[in-house]
Amino acid sequence: MSEFLSSFLTGQLIVSVTVILVILHVNLIGVAYLILLERKLSAWIQDRVGPNRCGKWGLLQPLADGLKLLLKEDYKPKGADFFLFTLAPMLIIIPALIGWVVIPWGGVWDMPEITLPLVGTIAGGPVTVAGADVNVGVIFLIAVASLGVYGVTLGGWASNNKYSFFGGLRATAGMISYEIPLSASILAVLLLSGAVQPQRLIEQQVAGGWYVLSQPLAAILFFVCILAEANRAPFDNAEAEQELVGGYHTEYSSMRFGMFLLAEYAHLITSSAFLMLLFFGGYHLPLIPWLSPEATGIGAALLKVTVFFGKVLLTIAFMMLVRWTIPRVRWDQVMKLAWNALIPLSIALIVLTAVMVFMEWTAWWQMLAMNAVVLGVVFAIQPLLPKSDLQNRRVPMAGSRFSPLPGEVVRTGAMGAAKDESGVARGSRGVVSMS
Amino acid sequence: MAIRDEDIVSIEAPPLNAMENLYIPEIVKGFGITLRHLATSWNKGKTTRALEYPEERRENIPVEKGGQYAPNFRGVHRLNRDAAGRVKCVACMMCPTICPANCIHITAADSPWDDREKYPKKFEIDELRCIFCGMCEEACPVDAIELTPEYDITGLSRQEMIFDKEKLLSIYDATIEKKPM
Repeated sequence: MSEFLSSFLTGQLIVSVTVILVILHVNLIGVAYLILLERKLSAWIQDRVGPNRCGKWGLLQPLADGLKLLLKEDYKPKGADFFLFTLAPMLIIIPALIGWVVIPWGGVWDMPEITLPLVGTIAGGPVTVAGADVNVGVIFLIAVASLGVYGVTLGGWASNNKYSFFGGLRATAGMISYEIPLSASILAVLLLSGAVQPQRLIEQQVAGGWYVLSQPLAAILFFVCILAEANRAPFDNAEAEQELVGGYHTEYSSMRFGMFLLAEYAHLITSSAFLMLLFFGGYHLPLIPWLSPEATGIGAALLKVTVFFGKVLLTIAFMMLVRWTIPRVRWDQVMKLAWNALIPLSIALIVLTAVMVFMEWTAWWQMLAMNAVVLGVVFAIQPLLPKSDLQNRRVPMAGSRFSPLPGEVVRTGAMGAAKDESGVARGSRGVVSMS
Repeated sequence: MAIRDEDIVSIEAPPLNAMENLYIPEIVKGFGITLRHLATSWNKGKTTRALEYPEERRENIPVEKGGQYAPNFRGVHRLNRDAAGRVKCVACMMCPTICPANCIHITAADSPWDDREKYPKKFEIDELRCIFCGMCEEACPVDAIELTPEYDITGLSRQEMIFDKEKLLSIYDATIEKKPM
């Protein structure tokens, strides 16, 4: 018995299972409290008070919300595809949760040899304080995070509702567009580091300075893209309540809707941790010796977990600030931003990073100079780029007073058509002067 | 009425200058504004506009700080009593005539007293229909109907919210200290 158990029960397995259990529970409770944090922050930004009825400072509000969601009627719309309708919340929550497994929360812990009853001695040695120390961790994260859109698309499709369907379509198109600059900005970092293992990325940032110093433009691109991927404002067109009622989750109620809500915030944690891992040194803070990869004590590991969580929390708070500062951009502007600005910029960054790596100019100040040059060039050529003369184009429509078909005369009201010599209604020519 | 074509003015957005075209500086400016509000209004700071209603009420804060000005406030109605404790109303039908919401219903009868011809046998105000415009108060020739500073009236049914003469007179008894005649 003990031989059988000790054959696979290694120190890494014990630590991994512990980390997974702790991270899962801490983050799921954290997700509930992120909703409270968001409501509080939005209240303060808008000079309100925010939820304060359930417990001190509204601290019991998440429990009340959860209770409400659990007790509500589980409604299924007529004509909905029940299988896909049930599958969609699962498909959206699972990718958001399993991304946490490869985040190296606590670096490396030099585990002492321990003896357990029934099992015997478990050999010590360095173990990773993470769910799994995956060699291709970054690529795993990209792959898993992109799966979340299936839930949105299927939820929109299966609801048998036009608004939901539009929300799902928008999420799909947004995902296709923003996946490109997202992956490209990650590639700019991976070219510098030469490794895709999360631990190695952090070690290199500790040695050579955080990648936000060497690749600030890629960091901004990445941040914009994770906002779009997580369906956060200002890119939350998939659930734009002013246009699409509730977007892809219009028809969802009860805990199915709760799953969507949970997944949105879980996705926020995943992508914030990803941002911290790639650009802000993971658990590392300068000038604290316990936060370097060389420190492998249990205290150092716990401190690293705390620092990582603190950084993730700060990022999420910043994302919330973004949500309550910037208005939602229109859907065509979202697409325009991706294809006209982010994708060319990210491709230029990849090419220039590759050149810099080839020339071995990879110190952070050299990379920073390269980024400044890119920004300068963008700023210089940006006014020269061809622009359409009408930012908000009018599409001619039959019977429309504001943009009629060419030559069509639209009469309105009892006054009869007020028209000029050309026979076209006056309001239809774009600019009409006040005089 | 439809908007006439010559009244329609199309306004184009002004073109962005070079800095605005980069978006990022403008966005940072926006963060400054939201952060300022966040810093000044958290934990009921000085810019918080909210009033935690059941505990804090407008009548408890000074008028200069946005409190209620009781003599001018138009809340629930009351029917005033005269010195003898009788209803002041003479059932002249001015208030139901001017009422824009048609919420006042009076049934007049011959007065049992010598000083007037008529008195309201029934006097009902549908508080759910009322828009609290105060026209009845202005129309009344004998200052019998008045609006009080009370605003948190509740009821469990529509029928309950139709206030009859006794209810309106009892509101007078309850609010005479708050708003003297």
